Amino acid sequence: MAAPEPAPARQRRLLSAILEPYLYISPALIIIGLVMFVPLIVGLSYAYREIQLLNPFSGGFVGLANFAQLYGDTRFWRALSNTAWWTFASVSLQFFFGLGLALLLNKSFPGKRLIQAVVFLPWAVPTFLSGLTWAWLFNPVVGPLPHWMSAIGLMDEPVNILSIPSVALWGPIIANVWWGIPFFAITLLAALQSIPNELHEAAAIDGATTWQRFVKVTLPFLAPMIAITVLLRTIWISNFADLIVVMTGGGPADSTQIVASYIFTQAYRRLDFGYASAVATALLALLLLYAVIVLRMRRSLLRAM
Amino acid sequence: MAAVSIDRVHKSYGSVGVLHGVSLEIDDGEFVVLVGPSGCGKSTLLRMIAGLEAINAGDIRIGDRVVNNVAPKDRDIAMVFQNYALYPHMSVSSNMGFSMELRRFAKSMIDSAVGRAAATLGLGELLQRRPRELSGGQRQRVAMGRAIVRQPQVFLFDEPLSNLDAKLRVQMRTEIKALHQELKTTAVYVTHDQVEAMTMADRIVVMHGGIMQQVGPPLEVYDRPANKFVAGFIGSPAMNFFDGVVAANGAGRYVAMGGDVRLPIPDNSRAEVGRRVTYGVRPESIRIDADDAGSVPASVEVIEPTGLSTLVYSKVADALVCTFTMERPDLERGQPIRLAPDLARVHVFDADSGERL
Repeated sequence: MAAPEPAPARQRRLLSAILEPYLYISPALIIIGLVMFVPLIVGLSYAYREIQLLNPFSGGFVGLANFAQLYGDTRFWRALSNTAWWTFASVSLQFFFGLGLALLLNKSFPGKRLIQAVVFLPWAVPTFLSGLTWAWLFNPVVGPLPHWMSAIGLMDEPVNILSIPSVALWGPIIANVWWGIPFFAITLLAALQSIPNELHEAAAIDGATTWQRFVKVTLPFLAPMIAITVLLRTIWISNFADLIVVMTGGGPADSTQIVASYIFTQAYRRLDFGYASAVATALLALLLLYAVIVLRMRRSLLRAM
Repeated sequence: MAAVSIDRVHKSYGSVGVLHGVSLEIDDGEFVVLVGPSGCGKSTLLRMIAGLEAINAGDIRIGDRVVNNVAPKDRDIAMVFQNYALYPHMSVSSNMGFSMELRRFAKSMIDSAVGRAAATLGLGELLQRRPRELSGGQRQRVAMGRAIVRQPQVFLFDEPLSNLDAKLRVQMRTEIKALHQELKTTAVYVTHDQVEAMTMADRIVVMHGGIMQQVGPPLEVYDRPANKFVAGFIGSPAMNFFDGVVAANGAGRYVAMGGDVRLPIPDNSRAEVGRRVTYGVRPESIRIDADDAGSVPASVEVIEPTGLSTLVYSKVADALVCTFTMERPDLERGQPIRLAPDLARVHVFDADSGERL
């Protein structure tokens, strides 16, 4: 038995044992802190100040005034409900079409590689370009879509849906669905291919029809992947203002404004950074809340596997 | 329970032929093992019985019914897969009851059928677990439980023991055989392991290159292999082969090898003088004996004691010969010995066709 160490030496050893791992990861932590947390905190701090680029005397601390203004801002609430619509419609349509495409591509047929490459092409198109292209497609002067829609009776006369406030949001939604299907198709196809073929064969022998195999074998297998991709895409799309800014600029009369494009409009059109930051803070809080809920759901799904 | 009849079945993938006219009658309640090296078509044949592969030509009958165009679920069969193919998101009992659930049996009937199968297989404690919480042997048992719950006409096994370790494999082999003796359901079992084939089968079907080489009870296949392939494939340690030409002297016919080695052949063999042949003799059919008149000179190369027995590898002319003995001979490397093949257990095959002579 060695003599008991003096207390200060033991404490010093304990302290260095606790600090040692943090020392090793400190370079990464410092870099992440500098490029992520510092701008985030600075950005969020604008929400409590009055920062208008056109007013050289602004910049002072105003407390929660921006949030009070936000609470009474009908355009913000409208943007929020538009965001819900925009996100729900885009994600669910992208998901169902992507799943269908993945199921089709999971079969083998001649020319599969070529079709697969073509299917994934929209993902590679820059969003601004696809926004412009779709805006033109909806434009009756240069695009065919309004003429086709009036030909099959969906429209009385060929008009631009982007200029009708009640339906204008569907323009960017359709462009977004077109652009985002490949993401779901790729990820779900990868998950589908990881299902061992024997499981389908075992189910076929056990007596499952094609539909029962899909519901009882394929879907449970895909569930964790579906949960994580839907979560990612929901956050992504609710933040995704590119197509709206390019196609409608939030108009006509703010009818296609989502929260993200409203932030953009406040910051770069009205140059009111303080208010834009307050809107952004609200959006961030909502998305964090959403992420926590879905991650919980995913964990319980995985536990059920 | 039902008989299975396979009648001149062909299978090819594009221009690659996999099965070339296979015919086989499997009796009701019989345990038939399809054995052969990988790529011999045994799994394809099994999957054709299951309905997982289309049949290019010929007929497969289960009972009196031609099932060529019957979906797997309507063939009344059950299959155990190599990697178990358990549904990972379902509990053991749901896995086992899945087929009955799909057929809309009453919950109480499913539960009692699952309970009975679980009792047979010793799975009672595990019914609420998920497959990933089970060991390999337990998963294997669940896969078998899933097969027996429904009481199908035919069991199909596709290399079910290949993913288990050696000890468990021997144990499960015995369990499957005992289960079959209890249930008496027709079973078709595919394996590449000839020991599994020998120990479990009522009849062995040896396959090679998409052709059935020999069909028969295990010991008959072992004692009278129809050709050189079967002789070399069945049996461990494997049969010794020597190439030579048949010649004769006053004492009888023999096979002349290089180095003036003369291997005696039995009188009832059809090998005529002058024919090029392959001479086969199993390791346990060779005695290490200096006195025998028909013995040939050899020198000891390697001695492998297994405790139960001893394998002696020695050189005869340029050929390495394995000898199996239950004794513990006092030999050392390089020592000259004489080997005497047991004439009654010598096999002579045509050198070109490989057929038994």
